[in-house]
Amino acid sequence: MKIPISTIKFVLPLVFLIVSTATPVFASKKDDTMVIAFTREILNLDYMQTTKREYIMLSDLIDETLFHVDTETFEIKPNLAKSYTYVDDKTIDVVLREDVTFHDGSKLTADDVYYTYQYVIEDNMNKPHKTTVRWLKSVEKTGDFTVRFTLKTNYPLALRDMARRIRIRQNNIYGTTGNYDKNTQTTSLNGLGPYKVVSFDPGKVVVLERYENYYDSPKGRPAIKRIKIRSIPDLGTQQAELMTGNIDWLYNVPMDIARNMGSTGRAAHLEGPSLRVGFIPLDAGGVSGKDNPLTKVEVRRAIIHAIDRQGIVENLVGGTSEVIHAACHPIQFGCTDDVAKYEYDPEKAKKMIVDAGYPNGFPLDFWAYREQQVSEAIASDLTKVGIDVNLRYSKLSALNKARRAREIPAYFGTWASGGTADVAAIANVHWSIDSDRNLSGDPKVTELMLGAENTNVPGEREEFYRKGLQLISDQAYWVPLYAFTANYLTSKDLIFPIPKDGLPRLYSTSWK
Amino acid sequence: MSSTELPISGTPLTLETETVTELTPRQLLIRRIKGHKGLIIGFTVIIGLIIVGIFAPMFAPHDPYEQILSKRLIPPVWSPGGTTEYLLGTDHLGRDYLSRLIYGTRISLMIGYGAATVGLFIGVSMGICAGYFGGRVDQLISYILTCQLSLPGLLLTMTLVFFIGPSVYVVIGVIGVLHWTYYLVVSRSAAMQIRQMDYIAAAKSIGCSKFHIIRKEILPNLMSQIIVIFTLEVGFAILAESALSFLGIGIQAPTPSWGLMIAEGKVAMFFQPWLVIIPGAALFVLVLATNLMGDGIRDVTAPENRN
Amino acid sequence: MLRYLLRRGFMALLVALTVSVAAFVLLNVAVDPAMAIAGEDADLLLVEQIREQYGFDRPIYVQYFEWLTRLFHGDFGESYYWNKPVGELILSHAPVTLQLALMAIFVTVVISIPLGTLAALKQNSLIDRIALSTAVSAQAIPNFWLGLMMIILFSVTWQIFPVSGDDTFAHFILPSFVLGASSVPAVMRLTRNGLLDVLSSDYIRTARSKGFGGIRLLLQHAMRNALLPVVSVLAVQLGQKLGGSVITESIFAINGLGRLALESILGGDIPTVQMLVFVFALTFVIMTLLADLLNAWLDPRLRLG
Repeated sequence: MKIPISTIKFVLPLVFLIVSTATPVFASKKDDTMVIAFTREILNLDYMQTTKREYIMLSDLIDETLFHVDTETFEIKPNLAKSYTYVDDKTIDVVLREDVTFHDGSKLTADDVYYTYQYVIEDNMNKPHKTTVRWLKSVEKTGDFTVRFTLKTNYPLALRDMARRIRIRQNNIYGTTGNYDKNTQTTSLNGLGPYKVVSFDPGKVVVLERYENYYDSPKGRPAIKRIKIRSIPDLGTQQAELMTGNIDWLYNVPMDIARNMGSTGRAAHLEGPSLRVGFIPLDAGGVSGKDNPLTKVEVRRAIIHAIDRQGIVENLVGGTSEVIHAACHPIQFGCTDDVAKYEYDPEKAKKMIVDAGYPNGFPLDFWAYREQQVSEAIASDLTKVGIDVNLRYSKLSALNKARRAREIPAYFGTWASGGTADVAAIANVHWSIDSDRNLSGDPKVTELMLGAENTNVPGEREEFYRKGLQLISDQAYWVPLYAFTANYLTSKDLIFPIPKDGLPRLYSTSWK
Repeated sequence: MSSTELPISGTPLTLETETVTELTPRQLLIRRIKGHKGLIIGFTVIIGLIIVGIFAPMFAPHDPYEQILSKRLIPPVWSPGGTTEYLLGTDHLGRDYLSRLIYGTRISLMIGYGAATVGLFIGVSMGICAGYFGGRVDQLISYILTCQLSLPGLLLTMTLVFFIGPSVYVVIGVIGVLHWTYYLVVSRSAAMQIRQMDYIAAAKSIGCSKFHIIRKEILPNLMSQIIVIFTLEVGFAILAESALSFLGIGIQAPTPSWGLMIAEGKVAMFFQPWLVIIPGAALFVLVLATNLMGDGIRDVTAPENRN
Repeated sequence: MLRYLLRRGFMALLVALTVSVAAFVLLNVAVDPAMAIAGEDADLLLVEQIREQYGFDRPIYVQYFEWLTRLFHGDFGESYYWNKPVGELILSHAPVTLQLALMAIFVTVVISIPLGTLAALKQNSLIDRIALSTAVSAQAIPNFWLGLMMIILFSVTWQIFPVSGDDTFAHFILPSFVLGASSVPAVMRLTRNGLLDVLSSDYIRTARSKGFGGIRLLLQHAMRNALLPVVSVLAVQLGQKLGGSVITESIFAINGLGRLALESILGGDIPTVQMLVFVFALTFVIMTLLADLLNAWLDPRLRLG
């Protein structure tokens, strides 16, 4: 067969074009650009509008807060604040640093801090952070670089909330009182952080570049020049990109994948702790139905005996994961291991259920919204001891809705405490009397777990939590399951410090 | 170029002579079926899978839901590390993959045949009404058809299944309700043609009711064409379900649907490829067999449409 | 011709309107929009506040007419999930998907028309059989499976094409092949059968018997007639590709309308999903209209019908 010359003339350049454009642009050390991938999308740059984990990581790169949580000791240290003093229990005076500039070059002053807090305090339904400063009464500017905060009540976690939640914005950036436009920082952002936004394509990519005039902050000066954050929804695609060297960093990788990928030598597998814990609240208060089997303490205890938590941790979760016995993460302030423990014993569990008056077992709707493998494993364990489990694996929104409607007798809950290493961050949400997550129906638990927030003395707080956690374990209001682990996959060129609290600090990565 | 003309003029000739001389239509049909390899292969595979699906508990060596966490991710028997106890290996929870595949046959067939049946009832009843009554009824139904055709099918299926809640019945219902256009088009034109035929006029004149005519005269004549579309729609529905599962919107665990098995396995596609390849191959075989059967039935019942 | 055009245009508009009603009602019944906005952890009081603030407590037909009125004024609504005007969202995601769809159609044409033609010319030959069995097999391959295999082979093993993204032309090659491949069986069969019909028609036979033949006859007469239905099917396929690229876009991390649709569904963002259903339907209606007009222009007999 003869091919006409004209065809060759046409086809050859096309082939060249394809091959030349096809050569992948390698992310790497060479051009000092770290490419990372998120499964979820970055839709807007402004942390004020979101609370999701990906946004915390992004905001840590581009924003600053008044205080800094030490990554090793979890102590609160001054950051934008140069120093602070408690005038009394409800008044905090803050002195600001004077060498800090926004990415547009303008200087940080007390006006900016005042404006930011005033913006957060003022009523606006669309701000998810409003509830995080419910303890704050007012903020006032007392000088060019001094600010005073007045609290409504004595609240021990004020500095921590300020360190975690409120990222400082420039004065008048959202407009003035009454004329706020919350969307001014969604697609381009004038921050204070170690990196500034170079370009942003919502849902696709964010490109950050080191801010050269960054102040001498406790976060340290970043080593890597450029960070590119891509959204890749499919885990398989993420792996393919990592294998071809187009991505340098992945997190939240399932254990099997992380191990396998690590063993191929194409990427480094790192395991680290996470502040997230898993647990099953049981309907002891009968909210889903009066006199349901879970209202009997023996049945609740039997359920803890029935679940092979160690097996789940070893086979499904792996890493640094460990079984927990109290309703908190072991590294959190106030958490104690000095509580009732229930070993894995399916025979005993079966007998306890029979003795409690259920010789033929009973039906149970068990809800879950993540960790599908583990949920299935738990359901199967419960089935073995005679409980007729109906696993309702659903979206979080559906679970929340059903819980609000008081229809859930037991669910697989998880909580990461927003990265805060203090029992308060898990206790308040789960044990306040009007929380629909509190299925215990026991006012004593609320009294103890929330009572700790009314004192500033560490020893007293610890005592409150110890008694509360002991009560929870003794009455088996929860099945504490395990502390999560975090699996990371990184390029072999990258040094990534594994965070103790499971919250990656991308600004402290560097090249080997 | 001679090769193009030979079969066109050749095949009908031989058929005609045979018909005239010795064979009844029924014998002719059987002869055609026997001569059609695709149909036989497709039919055999489908029957085999239906038997496997119905008698799943007898074929499955293990309980498809039983997990043994210490026996996770065992490779199939032909790979190093495989055992004869788990012929196709185990999944991420240590469940026997072969047993899940066998039980999955049920789900896939149920969804395929269920959705195709739902579509059949909607499409054929509307099509016959349109074709038989004509006039305004026809106009209205044709209008509904146009609207239906212009809807983005996959997007709407995803949306509805996600928001209503993904159970087997919802998936069957939504796919079925959104796929009936082929039935409608075919049954409408067939009903139109049949309506004008002499024997219908005769039936009318002796006072048969409309319902009677539709049931006794029109439906049987439509049968072969409907069966063809039905088989093709079965294949479509099975693929649609697997696509939904792939996007995480379809049937939920622990139900062993093939689409869901692929979706669960795809995360590990570089390391435990059999988790994706085995259910993918099963899906391919099932849909291929369905399509072969559909094409085959069309060929043997209406050889004039062969091309 | 003008009357035909007007009639068809009016019909198309009517269809688009009906579809918009269907999309609106269906979605508003299926989801609680106030809950979707308030987010997963919101308390019931906030949900009620939002319901009143956005007017979700009013009858659905009132909401629909308001939506329609706004639409006619060019206001496509506001997305709760993306915090952006829906119109802006759709416009910014459309070019990528359009490029993908056009390239996919190109792939379909390049594969299926030569193959279909060859199969028809050599009917019942080996080529024909191979072409037909490829078509039957290809129909049975799940789209997402093909995509995954393409990535494994071409991106990871051989590293010819990039894995994912939509930055350069090369990024579009694999996804457009995957998306285009799904239409190959149908278009190939159509080409083959159309050509067979034409080849067996009287005038071609006559032409052949008079000694005309070969490539010229094929191109000038047979192909032109055989490709008429193919062209209109392609137009319709293009309309479908725009709405059907969800899986391809999701696998290859292409940030087009398909991804927008999927994320909006998962995020419970009803205004965006609603508008997408409407826009896709409208595109489809327009493509069908164009195909009809094209056919009418090429074949005057149709104008009377």
